[in-house]
Amino acid sequence: MEYIIKNGIVYDPLNGVDGEKMDICVKDGKIVESVSSDVLEIDANNCVVMPGGMDSHTHVAGPKVNVGRTLRPEDSKKDIFNKKGLRSGSGFSVPSTFKTGYEYSEMGYTFVNEAAMPPLLARHTHEEFIDTPQLDKAAMPLFGNNWMVLEYLKEGDFKMCAAYVAWLLRATRGYAIKIVNPGGTEAWGWGKNVHGVDDPVPYFDITGREILEGLAKVNEMLGLPHSIHVHPNDLGHPGNWETTLASMDCVKDIEAKPKYGERTTTYYNTHLQFHSYGGTSWKDFVSKGIETAEYVNKHDHVMVDVGQVTLDETTTMTADGPMEYDLHMTNGLKWANCDVELETGSGVVPFIYSPKGPVYSVQWGIGLDIFLNINTDKVILSTDHPNAGPFTRYPRVIAWLMSKQYRDDWLNNKVHAWAKQKSFVADNDREYSIYDIAKVTRANQAKVLGLSKEKGHLGVGADADIAIYEIDPEEKDGKVIEKAFRYAKYVLKGGELVVKAGNVVKEVYGNTIYINAKVDEALEEELMKDLRTKFKKYYSVNIDNYPVSDHYANSWKAINIDATDIK
Amino acid sequence: MELILTLKKEIMVPVEMDKILPEKVQDLSEEEIKSIELPQGRTTITVGELFDVEVKESETPRLVIKNSTAKLKRIGEKMTTGEIVVEGDAGMYVGVEMKGGKIVVNGNADSWAGQNMKGGELIIKGDAKDYVGSAYRGDWRGMSGGTIVVEGNVGNEIGEYMKKGIIHIKGNTGIMPGIHQSGGIIIIDGDVEARAGGEMLKGAIVVNGKLKEPLASFKFEGIVENPVIKLTKKDNGMPITGRYYKFSGDYVNNKPKGQLYVSVENNPDLR
Ligand SMILES: [Zn+2]
Repeated sequence: MEYIIKNGIVYDPLNGVDGEKMDICVKDGKIVESVSSDVLEIDANNCVVMPGGMDSHTHVAGPKVNVGRTLRPEDSKKDIFNKKGLRSGSGFSVPSTFKTGYEYSEMGYTFVNEAAMPPLLARHTHEEFIDTPQLDKAAMPLFGNNWMVLEYLKEGDFKMCAAYVAWLLRATRGYAIKIVNPGGTEAWGWGKNVHGVDDPVPYFDITGREILEGLAKVNEMLGLPHSIHVHPNDLGHPGNWETTLASMDCVKDIEAKPKYGERTTTYYNTHLQFHSYGGTSWKDFVSKGIETAEYVNKHDHVMVDVGQVTLDETTTMTADGPMEYDLHMTNGLKWANCDVELETGSGVVPFIYSPKGPVYSVQWGIGLDIFLNINTDKVILSTDHPNAGPFTRYPRVIAWLMSKQYRDDWLNNKVHAWAKQKSFVADNDREYSIYDIAKVTRANQAKVLGLSKEKGHLGVGADADIAIYEIDPEEKDGKVIEKAFRYAKYVLKGGELVVKAGNVVKEVYGNTIYINAKVDEALEEELMKDLRTKFKKYYSVNIDNYPVSDHYANSWKAINIDATDIK
Repeated sequence: MELILTLKKEIMVPVEMDKILPEKVQDLSEEEIKSIELPQGRTTITVGELFDVEVKESETPRLVIKNSTAKLKRIGEKMTTGEIVVEGDAGMYVGVEMKGGKIVVNGNADSWAGQNMKGGELIIKGDAKDYVGSAYRGDWRGMSGGTIVVEGNVGNEIGEYMKKGIIHIKGNTGIMPGIHQSGGIIIIDGDVEARAGGEMLKGAIVVNGKLKEPLASFKFEGIVENPVIKLTKKDNGMPITGRYYKFSGDYVNNKPKGQLYVSVENNPDLR
């Protein structure tokens, strides 16, 4: 199938294209130089053309997401998806799988990265991926509280740690090293938490700092496409911004050495909003969003996503077990808690970010403080779906960023006065251009994930994942912006037209992308000896039944990494 | 206008009736009413296929369902005004989320009667099953107004997460009436199977019959005679007649304000 997208205004930051009227040709799933005369024409007159949206941090599949669904029938009732020819679904903050795929597609997104996959339960994540249409997918296994990692790093055995990381990525078909509250979730297994980067984990006697440094080092030894992906210690605690900067700082001397892709950073701080809190309690709680944004601006090794609070009723879910317990004790709502053997844990709690709530309003302001003070090459739009709000609110976040007038309407008429007093949103006149929006919703994701050769741009040879929005680039009406980005005019996925006028018209199934990294055989053998003992002694499953087998995807796409130089 | 629907014959697969509210059918012709499609399992059935339809003049919007059975679900869901009379039994979810008006069931009701009710009156002349006046499954924001009266017996966990309004049960209840209750008043004339007011935070429960297996996490406050139940300081209060053991609870919660009144006469072994 061949397409030509005619007369659109193209925004393609990775190729430096900022609002040029040009045609885009598509053939056999790729963007090409030219097409034959027997071609389907898509009229993009008065439309903005961008690469397909990419989400580098979202919780859409796996055990914790499904606990969210089961825990909250009342969330399912709130939002029903029922369109002819498509699978039905439900759920506002934790939608079912098909609904998730369709709604991302309606918004022009073509790739999602599930941000927290418990290795032992990887199958569940991949099973749900099979039922999540319209998107390419990847998932990040959790490493920051894993017994093997903690022990190898404590012993200073980076080679064995690297071999283990390579093995686990292959076994779980994972994409990158995810670290959640390093050491804190293991401490939660002892009924505790860690505070700051230098508080040792019970029994293992290792600190968050050592875990971050160690895994960052291992990441670059292996040469993985993505950097370590970090949810640092002390999430959501007033005064945590210092921990956040200390965490960023401890890997600053490590050099990025990806063997695939074009990443230049070594540290990805997810949902920075939750980690930019000043003060000592909720009473003197203030925004440190400008401070954290400035650190990011000054340091080349850091990339962040924001985790913007959207002021909705949502569901929080994270591998940060002790944090979810704190949340449950604060809001008194129902709570689910889970321990995953030697690897990780998780918690789930419903949460109502009422615009009238003083603290929630400041959280909203902090996210915007970050967005409005940061270099747009270093920031990614996220809501940490569904933690700070559901992904279907991305268009609203875009509208807040593009229109000062719309932002002020919320500030003056909807949110609590604390947003003005304890954050700096009111004083900021900055407005994102459509080019900035293209960076923070696709280009930056592609680059930091190491997928910018094939995704996140519209150059010849790229995957033909394309979103077309009917919007004037100078639009300032928040509602118009929101609607335009919520329902794309056209979306192409892998060269096929999948969305027309905001409706999914074709169901397609993307690839599941994972890392197949090879280390030296002798090293691998040594690792397996160690692992077999560990599995026999501690795991509830046999090691041979642990790896995810071939039939757990619609189609796999392996990124092969040769790390046999690690001996 | 008064709409009279007479069920033609017994049905196997339940039908959802929420499209037929008195307020919604006022401006429709008999033919239009007959052609309304109601969900039945995975398919639909028209009102005309299912019922004999009769339309009469009436001052107030009224709906009468004759030969009704427990297979007719969601009768009066979200109604705001008018009156529904059910001759026979009502299926699950009768009067769910109703805001106003009146529903009378001259028979029994299945589970979830008056779930998340906001206002109006729901009267059940027979028995009702579980979750009378409860919250939607999973929700912690339950019934917020209105009155439910059941003349017979009811099942378990009635008034779950109730916030406001009144539930009056003239018969007996199953276990845990007023579980997680955070407001409103539940009056039970008969006996309670067990554990009234489990995890309640606010509101009041009155047990005029026997309370079997009371919870240990309630605190005895003394014996009161003809008390006036006040839920807030400004509240005029609801007087009840008799001698009661008064308890506060449930102390599994922090600083609970729930009130539990248990008949002295019918609970000689209590204390
Ligand atoms: Zn997350």
